[in-house]
Amino acid sequence: MTDNDIIAQIVQGDRNMYRKLVDKYQPMVFRTCMGFLHNKDDSDDLTQDVFIQAYQTLPGFKGDATFSTWIYRIAVNASLNKTRKSSKSLLIQRFEMSFGGSKNKEYSFPIPDTENPENILILNEHREWVKKALESLPENQRTAIVLSKYDDLSQKQIAEIMKTSEGAVEALMQRAKANLRKKLSALQKKKKK
Amino acid sequence: MNCQLCQKEFVAFHNGRLPVGIRTQVENHLQQCKECTDQYFLIILAEKVMDEEKRLPSNPFLITRIMAGIDELEHKQAILLPIPVYQKALKPILITISIAAALILGIVFGDIYVPSQPVNKLPVEMTYINDAVLESVDLFSKI
Repeated sequence: MTDNDIIAQIVQGDRNMYRKLVDKYQPMVFRTCMGFLHNKDDSDDLTQDVFIQAYQTLPGFKGDATFSTWIYRIAVNASLNKTRKSSKSLLIQRFEMSFGGSKNKEYSFPIPDTENPENILILNEHREWVKKALESLPENQRTAIVLSKYDDLSQKQIAEIMKTSEGAVEALMQRAKANLRKKLSALQKKKKK
Repeated sequence: MNCQLCQKEFVAFHNGRLPVGIRTQVENHLQQCKECTDQYFLIILAEKVMDEEKRLPSNPFLITRIMAGIDELEHKQAILLPIPVYQKALKPILITISIAAALILGIVFGDIYVPSQPVNKLPVEMTYINDAVLESVDLFSKI
């Protein structure tokens, strides 16, 4: 049974068929969300929102693109919206902190199984560098790199999702990698100082 | 090999996908160039972090959560469904009809009511009539 057959049945009222689509596409949507948010709990919540949003708009799915492309677009847009919102709330948090507020400790990554606390600190610091560098990339570069690195999509698939040409995706990837290198080395130099 | 070429091959070098000749050139360059070694470390670090995040499994109960979320949403939508115009008008119409029916029935039943026993009391008019008997008209005619 193809995705379009499943969708037709869902639109006709067989809601349980949606379970099949969720089961099939949940890992990739979760990975995309993880690529943008870098936090497991937030990514779980966003994956849930993406699928509920997709269910609501399913009658509007025309089948011009494949369902996977369509759901990737929803996931990317939802992730970008979420990161925009969280960057706004970060600004508010910083503003509050400057007036004596306390910083909420955020657990976002599993601690590596090592007995050396110094190694744990270094590893986590390096992870933070990478996350910061990824977050500071422009949205289209970040989207291209997340879809490529987290979802292992080809340039053709990325171009389809981003509604652009393969050449543009290649250029975006090159710029993203160069920017990532620059930002990472800037963070490293900052640390050395 | 210069720095730019070397940096371009980092990921392939790390994944062991480079031909032997180029691989040796990258190795030699990394041994000589401190900046490229640092860059190499950072790129590999980024790859590693992304790979770790990619491998994280999602919540095993996510499907159940999604389906429950859809159920809840449909339930809410069912509650908030717009009421048709005829249903909106039905309630005030029924109330008006009930009040009118109650009034009409009250009047009809009130009209039907007849006392079961006749009243034996003398009406007030009859008292005046009796007074007329006591004071005869003849009394005035004699004057």
